[in-house]
Amino acid sequence: MKSKAIVLVFLPFMLCLSSTPSFGQAPASTAAAKLPDWSGVWSMVGGTVFDRATQTGQGGSITPGVREHPPYNPQWEAIYAKNLELRDKGLFPDVQTNCGVPAGFPRILNLPDPYEFVIRPEQVWILTENGPNVMRIYTDGRKHLEDQWETYTGDSVGHWENDTLVFTTVALKGSRDGDSILDRTGLVLSDKAHATTRIRRIDDTTIETQMTIEDPKAMTKPWVVTKQFRKMPAGTRLYDYGCAENNRNPVDEKSGKTLTLGPDGKPLN
Amino acid sequence: MNFHHPIARAAVLVVLLLVTTTLVAHHSGVEFDNTKVVELNGTIKEFQFKNPHTWIQVLVPDGKGGNVEWSLEWGSPNTLGRDGYRPSTFPPGAKVTVRLNPMRNGAPAGMFLGAKFQDGKTVGRWE
Repeated sequence: MKSKAIVLVFLPFMLCLSSTPSFGQAPASTAAAKLPDWSGVWSMVGGTVFDRATQTGQGGSITPGVREHPPYNPQWEAIYAKNLELRDKGLFPDVQTNCGVPAGFPRILNLPDPYEFVIRPEQVWILTENGPNVMRIYTDGRKHLEDQWETYTGDSVGHWENDTLVFTTVALKGSRDGDSILDRTGLVLSDKAHATTRIRRIDDTTIETQMTIEDPKAMTKPWVVTKQFRKMPAGTRLYDYGCAENNRNPVDEKSGKTLTLGPDGKPLN
Repeated sequence: MNFHHPIARAAVLVVLLLVTTTLVAHHSGVEFDNTKVVELNGTIKEFQFKNPHTWIQVLVPDGKGGNVEWSLEWGSPNTLGRDGYRPSTFPPGAKVTVRLNPMRNGAPAGMFLGAKFQDGKTVGRWE
């Protein structure tokens, strides 16, 4: 009888405690409510010249004479010059054309076709139809691994500064294995590159990303590149991007030439 | 078919020197000459509405009682689908006039620009 009375007295407090989150663990719904709204489908503004702010020459990334001016050191400027020379001859291979490898960072922010930016309290996902590619940015307080191995997209951890996502990306393989570029002019980074990126929605229809890329092996100072993404009409759908489904334009690995396959599967060029 | 072949020359019309915007996202498109526009009359064999790019297969008479199969590359099915195009946009057997940026080496292929069906309906950029 006595124990039943104690339970009745403390029941309201027990119920109250059970519905209150423990300290330091705001419920996901509350945390999410404070995060910005980047819902919908987005499309990169401009062509796929990675750094349009330093572009010289008129045209797109495959147009002879078009180039960008990252703060390369002489050795990496020479590598870029060689790539540009091949590009001018139509012989700079884009590994994406053969399907199968991720675009990687920072090229994942330089792709045609639609984007989605998915915000969860513990992660942000950048999803691209082209590829498809996914970039995970951990915002749950974790740190980069001390012994993280290099990959195409690297490892990204970040945090929110009001409505701005700020994250660092490390462990990028860059052009080490010859299968990761930034654009078709032939821009490349080394396996020592890392970056700090800030993303925010600057108005109703625009998301802006600003990457500060540092590469002590290839560049003499930080390289800041800004890309914008415009909101597409409500209801826009995304689809499979099965690159290997009917790829009639593989790259001939010996010559670097992009082939065009006829209906019988044999090269026309 | 080669552009230097007399029958081919009769079938192929180099219209204008036009700079066109490539729809190719998956590869550079450098193999196509975007300063030339070629016009062909033929019959739709197949519309390959697949990634990473769609291909319109068109049978063009060779003047000898046979046909040459032309391959016309267009945008991704995803982008075209969002613009309202469907696999049925080019039904097999339909008579059509097509315009394209040809291959630089004269092979029977090119970047699709536009098409006009016998009933006057047009697809892509025609005017």
